[in-house]
Amino acid sequence: MVLLVIGKNPFEVFSLMFSDVFGSGYGLGQTLFKATPLIICGSGLAICFHASLFNIGAEGQLNAGSFVIGLVAYYLSGLPFFVAIPAALICGFIVSGLLGLVPAIIKVEKGVSEVITTIMMNFIILALINFFLIDFFAVKSTVHTEKISDAVMIPKFSDFMPMFQGSSLNFVFVFAILIAVAAYFFIYKTRFGYEIRAVGYNDTASKYIGIKINKIILSSFFIGAGLTSFVGMNFIMGYKGYYEFGFSNNLGFTAIAVALLAKNNPIGVIFSALLFGFLDYGGLTVNTIVPKEIMFVIQGIVILTILSVDKLVEKYYLK
Amino acid sequence: MDLISQIISLTFLAQVLRLFTPYFLGANAANFSERSGVVNIAIEGFMIISAMGYALFTIFSGSAVVGFFSAILVGILFSLLFSLFVIKLKINQIVAGVGFNLLMAGLVKFLIIFLFQSSSNTPRFDSLPNIYFLENIPFIGKVLSDYIILFSFALIFISNFVLFKTKFGLRLRSVGENPEAGESLGIKVRLYKLYGVIICGFLASLGGIWLASNQNSFSDGMIAGRGYIAIAAMIIGKWKPVNIFVACIMFAFFEALEISLQISGTFIPSQIVQMLPYLITILVLIGFIGKTKPPAADGIPY
Repeated sequence: MVLLVIGKNPFEVFSLMFSDVFGSGYGLGQTLFKATPLIICGSGLAICFHASLFNIGAEGQLNAGSFVIGLVAYYLSGLPFFVAIPAALICGFIVSGLLGLVPAIIKVEKGVSEVITTIMMNFIILALINFFLIDFFAVKSTVHTEKISDAVMIPKFSDFMPMFQGSSLNFVFVFAILIAVAAYFFIYKTRFGYEIRAVGYNDTASKYIGIKINKIILSSFFIGAGLTSFVGMNFIMGYKGYYEFGFSNNLGFTAIAVALLAKNNPIGVIFSALLFGFLDYGGLTVNTIVPKEIMFVIQGIVILTILSVDKLVEKYYLK
Repeated sequence: MDLISQIISLTFLAQVLRLFTPYFLGANAANFSERSGVVNIAIEGFMIISAMGYALFTIFSGSAVVGFFSAILVGILFSLLFSLFVIKLKINQIVAGVGFNLLMAGLVKFLIIFLFQSSSNTPRFDSLPNIYFLENIPFIGKVLSDYIILFSFALIFISNFVLFKTKFGLRLRSVGENPEAGESLGIKVRLYKLYGVIICGFLASLGGIWLASNQNSFSDGMIAGRGYIAIAAMIIGKWKPVNIFVACIMFAFFEALEISLQISGTFIPSQIVQMLPYLITILVLIGFIGKTKPPAADGIPY
């Protein structure tokens, strides 16, 4: 990488990265752990993008859903986990989904592009969460909610496989893979998914074969945004045990890149999320040599490069 | 009552004008880009990188003036890079913008840590020179003596004049409204889009520089969504400089109010005031405050 002209040996950096990530169960576990939310959020966004809906609002949507998941899981701690966890997830899904519906309704009713409204919604939602969190739900002088009970925590891989010792990798990862596979079948193998793709490809033509475009826009926004809420599961039930303001750290934006990189194919999302997870954790491993923030730079470059290459290939091969 | 007397003071006015400056520069930047048909979410990134550029070059050269010109150059260089993606390669403008913003945010974080071994901000540095004889006017002297603030006021007229009274402006707008028609009249469409994006980079970098100069240091997250608010102001201002001016003043007023509220500690939660600009933008878009109409070919690669 050109950027390592800053005087450090790039090979040294990358070999350290590879050996740390793949050399130990811990490194591998952390990489998968970092990829988990990206798989979930990327799959949700892929559904929106298939309908040609640019949902830039995932950051807000996933935070709202996660916040609700954290709260519901806390207040339902008394119930058995097989009731409490689904209840929390359903509430999170509905809240995120409804927030996703707002820009969709504005688009359908007023013809306003969802891009600007979703960006604005991000700021509004985050301000609202901050307000509710600090004024009502947060543990005093912190920005996180009360810790949920251990009964509703998702087991970690390390509980069963000693090789992942110390890693935060948990069974939400499996859940995330299932979501991606489900999203794949939904998009490519169901009638509804077909309609979503048809609208995304050519809305005028879709209208004339009898697809209700507005219904498709509303529902794909609802489902796509709703799915993003499950991101919270990884952090809350699989890791910290509470919702913390700012936990997502621009995940909603990175997931856009993840989805686009995979050309909106949820199975591909798994792999591009793994790549980003690798960069994310890899950055930590080389932090002593170069600041880990270099990985944000690499992620940005990866996005722009892949998009450019894609365009160039399109231009010269498909003429 | 205390709050009201605070609001009508000159100090408050000066505060509003100071907050107004980066918004207005950013909003005009966005406007020039969008008038040429390029949706530019990357304004945020441009502001971040040029604020950082100003910080770096001022620290290493020891001169704020050198820092200023270098940072402008940085802003323009990155806008050229952005045009490479969106005009030459025709990548989806919003995606490229999001990617760009991620890249810029990461790059400055990396540079701060790498160069200054600090996780959040640079050492302090000089701010830009002022018009010294105006500086001593009470309360608003600091505002009146600041070149960039004065320039941003002049920008109302400059923008209006350039966009609506010159041949260049006419062509720029025609490219954003109907590139095919422009092309058939012999206008070099992509060249004008490039002009639009470069002017955008220049104005956005002024905004970033002003923020850095004003705080005497660059800190991570200092732009804090101002690029997005600027875009919001442009939409509310319906792509017209005078209206954009009003929208920016309004946003600046709300932000100043928020600061006063935080200090005086009233019952209105500051987060609610914080989200007002965005809420108003959505309301405007829905059509509560008149119809908005972006340039017809906005966001469509050509």
